[in-house]
Amino acid sequence: MRRFSKEWMLVGVFIFLFALMSILSPDKFLSLNNLQSMAFQLPEFGLLSLAMMVVIVTGGINLSLTSTAALSGIMGAFALSIMNSAGFDVGLTIAVAIVVSVLTSLLCGLINGSIISYIGVSPILVTLGTMTLFEGISLNFTKGGAISGFPEQYYWFGNGTILQIPVPMIIFIVFIVLTYIMLEHTPWGLCVYMSGCNPLATMYSGINVKKVLLKVYLFSALLTSVSSVIMTSRYNSAKVDYGSSYLLQSITAVVLGGTNIAGGYGKVMGTVTATLILQVLSSGLNLLGVKRYIVDVIMGAILILILAINFINSNIKFKTKNKSHNSDSNSNLIVSLLETLKIAKKG
Amino acid sequence: MDDKFVVSLKNVSKTFPGAKVLDNIQLQVKKGEVHALVGENGAGKSTLIKILSGVYQPDDGAEIIINGQRVRELTTISSVRQGIAVIYQDFSLFPNLTVAENIAISHEIEEGSKFINWSKIEEVAKKAIERVGGTISIYDQLGSLSIAKQQLVAIARALVHDAKMIIMDEPTSSLSANEVKLLFDIIRSLKESGISVLFVSHKLEELFEVSERFTVLRDGKYIGTYNADELDYDKLISLMVGRKLQFERCTGNKIGEPLFAVKGLSKKGNFKDISFTLHKGEIISLTGLVGAGRTEVAQALCGITSFDEGKIILEGKEIKINSTEDAVENGIAYVPENRQVEGLVLSRSVEDNIVLTVLKQITESKLLIKRQRKREIALNWIKKLNIKPSSPAIAAQNLSGGNQQRVVIAKWLASNPKILIIDEPTNGIDIGAKTEIHKLLRELASNGMGIIMISSELPEVLAISDRIFVMRKGKIVAQFKGGEVTQEEIMSNAILNQPALAK
Amino acid sequence: MKQFFKKKESTILCVLICIIIIITLNNSTFLRPDNIIDMIKGNTVLGIMSMGMLVVIITGGIDVSVGAMIAAITVIVGKFMVNFTGNVLLAFLLASLSGILFGLINGLLIAKLKIPPIVTTLGTMSIINGAMLYYTNGTWINDIPESFINFGKITLFKVPDGQGGTIGIPIQILFFIGAALITWIILKYSIIGRGIYAIGGNPVSAERIGYSLDKINLFLYSYVGFMAGIAAVVHTSIMRQVDPNAFTGFELQVVAAVVVGGANILGGAGTVFGTLIGVFLMAAMNNGLILMHIPVFWQKIVLGIVILVAVSIDVLQRKRTLRKLAKVDID
Repeated sequence: MRRFSKEWMLVGVFIFLFALMSILSPDKFLSLNNLQSMAFQLPEFGLLSLAMMVVIVTGGINLSLTSTAALSGIMGAFALSIMNSAGFDVGLTIAVAIVVSVLTSLLCGLINGSIISYIGVSPILVTLGTMTLFEGISLNFTKGGAISGFPEQYYWFGNGTILQIPVPMIIFIVFIVLTYIMLEHTPWGLCVYMSGCNPLATMYSGINVKKVLLKVYLFSALLTSVSSVIMTSRYNSAKVDYGSSYLLQSITAVVLGGTNIAGGYGKVMGTVTATLILQVLSSGLNLLGVKRYIVDVIMGAILILILAINFINSNIKFKTKNKSHNSDSNSNLIVSLLETLKIAKKG
Repeated sequence: MDDKFVVSLKNVSKTFPGAKVLDNIQLQVKKGEVHALVGENGAGKSTLIKILSGVYQPDDGAEIIINGQRVRELTTISSVRQGIAVIYQDFSLFPNLTVAENIAISHEIEEGSKFINWSKIEEVAKKAIERVGGTISIYDQLGSLSIAKQQLVAIARALVHDAKMIIMDEPTSSLSANEVKLLFDIIRSLKESGISVLFVSHKLEELFEVSERFTVLRDGKYIGTYNADELDYDKLISLMVGRKLQFERCTGNKIGEPLFAVKGLSKKGNFKDISFTLHKGEIISLTGLVGAGRTEVAQALCGITSFDEGKIILEGKEIKINSTEDAVENGIAYVPENRQVEGLVLSRSVEDNIVLTVLKQITESKLLIKRQRKREIALNWIKKLNIKPSSPAIAAQNLSGGNQQRVVIAKWLASNPKILIIDEPTNGIDIGAKTEIHKLLRELASNGMGIIMISSELPEVLAISDRIFVMRKGKIVAQFKGGEVTQEEIMSNAILNQPALAK
Repeated sequence: MKQFFKKKESTILCVLICIIIIITLNNSTFLRPDNIIDMIKGNTVLGIMSMGMLVVIITGGIDVSVGAMIAAITVIVGKFMVNFTGNVLLAFLLASLSGILFGLINGLLIAKLKIPPIVTTLGTMSIINGAMLYYTNGTWINDIPESFINFGKITLFKVPDGQGGTIGIPIQILFFIGAALITWIILKYSIIGRGIYAIGGNPVSAERIGYSLDKINLFLYSYVGFMAGIAAVVHTSIMRQVDPNAFTGFELQVVAAVVVGGANILGGAGTVFGTLIGVFLMAAMNNGLILMHIPVFWQKIVLGIVILVAVSIDVLQRKRTLRKLAKVDID
């Protein structure tokens, strides 16, 4: 009776696309080289998408995502280059750099999270402000240039392999599992979903919804900092605009992955599958000689198409199952009220 | 056709899935009369108004005649065009626009013009404001006005629409005595100019002051229409209350030591000087009209809102409750009135909803949720409270009202509270399920829990309360022992400024 | 007077005045007519686009495809002029038509498929941008016809430049003024304009008094497209070349200008006057920091803080009034 969930449908799409690309360009697409290069490219974007997802699940959005990543990367890069040129131990240098990256990012998340949850400003505005702010700080540190001069060993995080598997991929997998566990198996995760659906009822149940929300932005910042470590390592430098194109792409991936933009629903698996789909599409089309820009067009079209299908689907469901017009997220409630009005008018 | 009626409704019924809320109602409002629509909470007044304003469609077979014309279908727009205007409690105005626009903009839309003639809007608005005798600047932003003034704007807007009948739903609930007087002057002048007013209110003194005829509803049924001189307070109250289905009185006899006390609790604009003591094993009721401040007291007791003054004492020690977290930690549970918005996360499973108050219990070493423990707790309560369907994985939105309420109760019982505050426990639940919830509450009390029930349903209050507190206008105005009071006595205390007059 | 100080716009205006004073104290060239004119000319595109963004934000919507639309239209118009004619009128016609078309697509998706505006426009942004970059391959268009370049050099109304000479007002500024004027008229004097506020304030009631949400959405997003078209031509006339990548990230700047100007992102409030102040604030900070020899990097920091403070104060004020609201009338 239960139909395939959205996520499994996406997995189907992914398998189909993967198979299609393999058939269309078997020698190139399935080559170890291509598979590896996809595995090198995917993690930084995937991690940012997950960071965006946890925020969208609460009904928010994080426009400062990539500028947080850039700032955290730049601070880490500073630590790296300063300590490296001062001749500190390499292991210590890298450790300090990573800690600096993570702390910077967490601080950014703390600023976002506290203004959003404790003052109650809408996330899109807060993160629009912090996006500009963080970008400004980054620019101030770098004066628009790139920071480089990292120890060679740092290169490993973004470019190394273990048993042919790229290190960033391994890091990504670790954080996929971590995010999954955090969202699906901890009380905090349960509260994230519950308050994403209905913050009022969750608060009435004795949950400190503000604290939950603050932690969401902190967790998002953690994922962002990991992504930024991979990026700085992969490019062997840090710059203000590294990763900036990922901002809107990550929202695309999250929405494509089935997450409700109004909050309350979203699965790690969906988001990860969506990033895989986007990666396969862009690499595959690239190999087929399709220009990168057409890939953007296709991605935009897919985003709209999927949402249109969702809308038509839910519309059918609504009409056949008229009696349960009690949806809970506020916006859904208004939509369904409007729908009820319309039906009432027709009926 | 009898055209002395502005509006004539016959055979109006309305069925929602699982409940018939209106059963064969009739309502006839004469031209230029002030007609009162009365009944207890849940008697069906709001539903009837929504049918009149085109928000709901009645079941087949209803006869709606407006201005002598049979109307096939009323939509929200056609209802306005037919001259029916509803002044809702939320006024349906635009807080971000000026008074002038709120009054006159729909007029411009109807005229079909593309551009706004501001001087005409101002003229129309000024005239309308003059007609309601207000001293409101038409250039003010609506949101910056007091409730009373916003209400005048809503009435003025209705006049611009050439309203034949203005429905006022609890219009005086947020007004001061002077403002009420002003409103009544306006109602009288509307009447003189041939406009009918359908007045919906709980406040009998006010109703008698302006209304000529009364239509009484009870439990979704039509009781009758009476001229004002046929009625007095007593008669009207007994018509409203009626010989309703009485619940079997189930009382406990083991009232223990004091458990919880509230002393002098006050919050400006919400409630004042609330004091009571709750004992172990006792059920007390806070009753009164909607808007008397009962829910506000409950919300302050469980940390949802703050209060200005007063003390809360639990088991002899003063406690501070600043958040819902504090309340849960102190063993105070609150089952809210609006279960779909405040009580449940509808799209999540029954299981997730139940364990929300006991996250610590289902967490292993402060980190991970123990799935099995979570399921056990959910299944245990599903079984104990006989929640159906009994699957813990089903989304709460797919349950019936009664079962949803049980899930909310289960959620709180799981936290093993000392005090259960339950707001309108059987609102929108069918009769059979109501009795079961009553029995459940009594059973909980006999196990030593203290229960504060907020209810407008008097038979329910009489059936299970050990003591009854009546609230009016934010204060406790009377206190009775369960079993020693009648519905009429409670009602007259809840409604009348001077209940003695009713005798 | 009291009324004036209650308005959100006045707070921002005070901030603007303070900034102007600070800059002028540091460098008196700031208030010189030629500097002011240059500064405004440099921000006409932002200004024109903000007018479009303002109307959608008042309804509680948003359009993040504006950057992509402008970029695509500059390319369309640029290619057209290079290949056919430098006729200015035709350029404007083509630009507005393409803009309206883009906008209609957004509007249709939002009105008919009920996809949230932010997601819809995110999608169309990706499509429009991708298609445009595919077509141009990111290369600049340089050989804009002379006739069009001459149009861009037109100045009107000589005013003293503060150094003894005179300076004309560039034609681009007139388009900015025009855009503001049209938007103001629509918002203030048209039925649909008041509907935009009505929907932002109370959508259910707006439908009830006879506004059609769908029609208004179609109009709105087409209007944003139209403004993007005008902005694109104006931009080309200033730059005299087309850079397909010139507008990456522009959409968020536009949103920032509108929000700083006091519009409520949740809908219901926002004025042309406020948005103008928002645009000038951003322009003045940009220009002033340069004049004060402060590294341009500080501009973003200051802007970020201004946005954060402005929106936080707004929320705190609203919360305070809400808290004061009495629920029960106690004798």
